Amino acid sequence: MKLEPKQIAEFKSERQISAARFSHDGSMLAAVGYEPVVRRWQFDGQALTPLPSIEGFHGYSTALAFHPKQPRLFAADSWGQLRCIEDEKTLWQHEAAHDGWLRQIAASPDGSRIATCGKDGFVRVWDAATGKKLAEHQAGEDVYALTMTDSITFGDMRGRLETWDVDLKKKQRSFDASVLYKLDRLQDLGGLRVLLHIDGSKTLLAAGTTPQNGATPQSIPTILFFDTATGKLTKTVTHGTNKEGYVHDLVQHPSGCLMAVTAGTPGSGQLFLLDPAEKEAFHENKKMANCHALALHPDGKHFVVTSTNRDSNGNGKSLTKDGVYKTNTSPLHLFEV
Amino acid sequence: MNPLCTPRDHTFSRRAFLGGGLGLLASPLFAEAMKQRDKQVLFVWLDGGMSQLETWDPKPNTEFGGPFRSIPTSVPGIHFGELMPKLAKQMHKLCVVRSMCTKDNAHSSGVDRIQRGDPKNRGVPYPHFGAGVAKLLGPGTSGLPPYVWIKPGSGGFRAEDAGFLGPKYGSLAFGDGKPPDNLLRHPDISAEQDTARNELRQMLDQRFAKQREKRVVEANASVFDMAEKLMARADIFDTSKLPERDRDRYGRHDLGQHMLVARQMLEAGVRFVKVTSYGWDTHGDHFNSQTTMVPKFDQAFSAILEDLEASGLLKTTLVICLSEFGRTPRINGHVGRDHWPEAWSIAMAGHGVKHGMVVGETDERGTEVKSQPFDIGAAFHTWYQALGIDSHKVEFDNAGQPLPIAHDDMLPIKEALA
Repeated sequence: MKLEPKQIAEFKSERQISAARFSHDGSMLAAVGYEPVVRRWQFDGQALTPLPSIEGFHGYSTALAFHPKQPRLFAADSWGQLRCIEDEKTLWQHEAAHDGWLRQIAASPDGSRIATCGKDGFVRVWDAATGKKLAEHQAGEDVYALTMTDSITFGDMRGRLETWDVDLKKKQRSFDASVLYKLDRLQDLGGLRVLLHIDGSKTLLAAGTTPQNGATPQSIPTILFFDTATGKLTKTVTHGTNKEGYVHDLVQHPSGCLMAVTAGTPGSGQLFLLDPAEKEAFHENKKMANCHALALHPDGKHFVVTSTNRDSNGNGKSLTKDGVYKTNTSPLHLFEV
Repeated sequence: MNPLCTPRDHTFSRRAFLGGGLGLLASPLFAEAMKQRDKQVLFVWLDGGMSQLETWDPKPNTEFGGPFRSIPTSVPGIHFGELMPKLAKQMHKLCVVRSMCTKDNAHSSGVDRIQRGDPKNRGVPYPHFGAGVAKLLGPGTSGLPPYVWIKPGSGGFRAEDAGFLGPKYGSLAFGDGKPPDNLLRHPDISAEQDTARNELRQMLDQRFAKQREKRVVEANASVFDMAEKLMARADIFDTSKLPERDRDRYGRHDLGQHMLVARQMLEAGVRFVKVTSYGWDTHGDHFNSQTTMVPKFDQAFSAILEDLEASGLLKTTLVICLSEFGRTPRINGHVGRDHWPEAWSIAMAGHGVKHGMVVGETDERGTEVKSQPFDIGAAFHTWYQALGIDSHKVEFDNAGQPLPIAHDDMLPIKEALA
């Protein structure tokens, strides 16, 4: 089934958003971004109504995941804090779950455990109910992304992907996504942004970009397809031009199609939909600039894309008409499928 | 000089210093050696614009502060970004000016304006700071080229850096920190043959000089002189014989290895050594870039500060680290910071400047200089005065026209001067 999504509404946000997800029942959207709070909205099928934000994070709020069966939110920040929240109450919290930037959180399918990864090179597994640390693995350099099924698959800055058995504390498989890495002058360019299992975990997707240059990166959004049984790369999909940069978020719709958002040079970026059996996208929407997050509602009929306001860049001090130096923001685009 | 020894044997080397033991520090011999030592400059240029917010002037947990933490330094009350742990331990050697406010937010014009001190327009191109120092302080006793530039990529002689001073004071760039190709005398040519060839060249030069402008002739001759000096000191490019530990300590990346060559050049007595690192113009994926670039800078810059202090050279060497501007507080849609001359930082150490000090202050959001702002002209006055040159009295000579060496209407950053 080839979906044709239509935008039905747009909502404002006060700051920039880097990741967003719906709760298990779809009643709430939560987002993290360039501020030390988690923003939340109530969703009634038509509109997003702001709820009180969760404060007490530091630096940037960087990662979030909802429990798959309960109204619990796991959220983290760039100083290493990890917190479990229900309504506005903190159920448990680790101020230094990682040393510094905690990059991603994934919940196990049954919701009993969560996994985290960070700039400190560690992958850690936590009891979702109590916050007790169950296991940790020194995974390599800065671990950019992870996904959790029965096991954990994670990937670092250099595109080294590994599946790790949590119970046996043992490596199961490695995958070579080093095309997502490049050293340019002093800069290590890590292109990995998202890991996702599809086809009942038979296929692992590693999405991001194939870096070409540092400083002001210009590169083409890329998705690598790996056979999880053999570890072999089976397909590479690139979409867009080298202005469009990175696949920043990637989810699978219940129909099977992949939904991705991209951002690169300010003003560029898009939403595109792809049949995993094909190499070309069957739908693309370029009306939104610099899209960083895609939250799919559990009903499969709605999703939200967060973009960045136009004219987000500029050298020197650009002021508003009132003479204020303002931050950029992330409009939230509500789509209906 | 004994033909069997090299000029290196006559320098006050780090090894000799360490071998001599710390007790030497207190000795009159050491003090005398330091007095006699030529003043030198290490000028570290982070091309493209280093972010002040991730390094020298962190604003953690604020609107534009970014994701990183700040860490305490060796000077109580002063914090750096968490990506510079090694330099944080050396803050007591540094003087950081957090109140730079310059005029140009474009690379194409900004690099030149900053490196030439952005003086009043006199209709002639001003010299880069390195060329100015080369002119005012001369090559020193080492006889080596006075203004060298260690950079990634290609090398060569850059006459344009000298502006109106004339090509003689241009920079000699060593691409990838390597000596020029064919530096050494070809093995088939004997020393006697080489001398004879040079005598012939000098004779032809004299004939050439009669038909040319004096400064062009001087530049031409000085290039040959430089080549001759460098032929005798090819060892200063060779870091392969240094202990592995040293090479690791500076970092195996190009900035680390170039900084190590810079140390050798300073030890050999080069007057002005510029080290350039490219790639700091992070308009996209800024924070991830900082996690890998800033620690490499931290490693290389802190290693050379340690070594210059250990050898005693920090007492006679002015160290400067800067870019053409800082980076915007605002984060663009490509997760980048753009160009920001409005409120940024430079770092200094060594001869003539105070240590363990921060000068100036930006506001809580990092968008304004809260204290007295300083343009690059003030920095030029500061650097010249740190080197003992009265920047208000000493003038350049532009073919008979006296010109100020730094912006006439500006003053040095007094708080920074020792």
